[in-house]
Amino acid sequence: MSGLQHMVAAAGAAFADAHVEADGFRIRYREAGEGPALVHLHGAGGLRLTPAHDLLTRHFRVIAFEMPGFGDSAENTRTETMPQLATTMARAADALGLDRFNLMGTSFGAKTALWLALQQPERVRGLVLEAPAAIRPAGSVSPSGTPEEMARRLYGHPERLPAIVLPDPAVQAKTRALVNRLRGPDRDAEFEARLRQLATPTLVLFGTLDRVIPPEMGRLYKELMPECHLVLVYDAGHAIGAERPEAFTEVVVDFLDRHEAFVISQTETVIHP
Amino acid sequence: MKVSFFETGRYVSPPDMPRDWPVPSGAYDPETGAAAYRAMVERLRYVEEIGFDWISLSEHHYSPRILTPSPIVAAANVAALVKNIKIALLGPIVPQSNPVRIAEELAMVDTMAEGRLIVGLLRGTTNEVLTYDLNPSEARERTDEGMELILKAWTEPQPFGWQGRHFQFRTVSIWPRPLQQPHPPTYALGTSAESCEFAARHRLGLGLSYGNFEIMAKSARYYREQCAVHGWEPGADHIIYRANMLLAETDEEAERQLKEGNGQAPFPVREGLREALIKADLRNVAGEKRNANVGGILPTSFIGGPDTVVEQIRRCREMVGAGVLDLSLHPPGSGDIDALMSALELFGRTVLPRIREI
Repeated sequence: MSGLQHMVAAAGAAFADAHVEADGFRIRYREAGEGPALVHLHGAGGLRLTPAHDLLTRHFRVIAFEMPGFGDSAENTRTETMPQLATTMARAADALGLDRFNLMGTSFGAKTALWLALQQPERVRGLVLEAPAAIRPAGSVSPSGTPEEMARRLYGHPERLPAIVLPDPAVQAKTRALVNRLRGPDRDAEFEARLRQLATPTLVLFGTLDRVIPPEMGRLYKELMPECHLVLVYDAGHAIGAERPEAFTEVVVDFLDRHEAFVISQTETVIHP
Repeated sequence: MKVSFFETGRYVSPPDMPRDWPVPSGAYDPETGAAAYRAMVERLRYVEEIGFDWISLSEHHYSPRILTPSPIVAAANVAALVKNIKIALLGPIVPQSNPVRIAEELAMVDTMAEGRLIVGLLRGTTNEVLTYDLNPSEARERTDEGMELILKAWTEPQPFGWQGRHFQFRTVSIWPRPLQQPHPPTYALGTSAESCEFAARHRLGLGLSYGNFEIMAKSARYYREQCAVHGWEPGADHIIYRANMLLAETDEEAERQLKEGNGQAPFPVREGLREALIKADLRNVAGEKRNANVGGILPTSFIGGPDTVVEQIRRCREMVGAGVLDLSLHPPGSGDIDALMSALELFGRTVLPRIREI
């Protein structure tokens, strides 16, 4: 096993499992680290911790929610729309006593995160969108199929990562129904118009080898959102935090710490005598 | 068949010029250098006049053999003084430069040259790793990443950050962008599997150089296979073949000139260093390992009188499939300008009109 394969296989080992009651749901979350709170909302495949989560715990109290209806939680037939899911997740943060927090959303969860920020902008210090799926090219298809097929869509270099373990078919079926109901249209004019008003400092990251959402979608967020920064992570696919965890974490930590000033280099080049 | 003239600057060295690379800077004579640049422009006007399609420039350092350490500067000068011919930069050594700067400067030159720029991007010859302290074991990866960043800088309309493996930038948003949209015709240069794969993945051309037809054909075949994997088929213009040519009035005369040449590399790297570089710089042809050529002599692929050379070009086209020949007329890098001008005149008169339809 390579170093990266070990990191991915062991990801999340330091995280504790817990549940919180919110909005009529019993919501599982995983938590580790100390520092300012960083709330994470996962992608359509459900909660899967990556080496990036581990690295982020060195700087943040990381709270990774499993949104209602994903994983082993009860089937969620109640949530009808993405804004509703965002409201539920904001209440889950309330229930944990989180007033203001950094918010990170991955792929499908990036749209949830954007809605949460639109609904309660005063609560979100900084927003990180990892390969966001909130704006998609026409006819986008979510990854599906065998673990190998999934890996080819999700990773730029599947050969460098451990095999994907899929949830059991019943979990996949209930999750798929939920995702299809909530993901919304590929382009949503009303949603995009609202993004123009969102002043939250936002970092959008795309892997240059993303085969789920073309990285060219990144520029649309940049065009729409007044405080948006776009970073391309070279040689990573859709699952940036799994494929290039150090590169991902380095820029995310710096952005959440310094917001727009993160573009000012602090790299030292002097060789001390 | 398109034809390009490989312009090297042709510094006229005195007989007592030191022979080892790097050649001491103190041996450079400023007046001779100025004369070389003036002659370069005159020569390129002549090359344009006799009907060449392109002139090409390349990046080499620390010797009089090729006097264009910054080929982009040379291209800007040529763009201003030679009005119509296409200018092929084959090319900037990507791993040892700032890719964003390369993207900017190429966009400037393409715009100043009114869209006459052709770009080749490459890893560079082995000894060049010594010029700006490039670790040879990182050269391949830095090349691939740098090329990708250059393409992105040319085409991404919004400011972006680049979180690379070897290059990090938080703000990239170049002005100007190239005049040719989305970017000038671009080639990945090299025979390696990595070059072929990169070119195929990004729908770029491939530039091959200084191997015999069999070896070049192997890379060209691999490139075409990779293009098919990526769902497209390259045309003849997608493959450049750079080679030395020794053209004379007759085959016998060409053979005589070949024998006259001393057969030695002009500015070799010292033996111990050469061996260390070969060990450190792994190369391949379409995936098959091959030793790097470190300051060694380069083969001459086309030798003879006009009839023979035309036939050799025909055979090259059949075997390699290259639609662009980038020629260095013999003796490459020499200061014998009269011999070079005679060869150019002969080529324009006796060969060029006969290879258009090949």
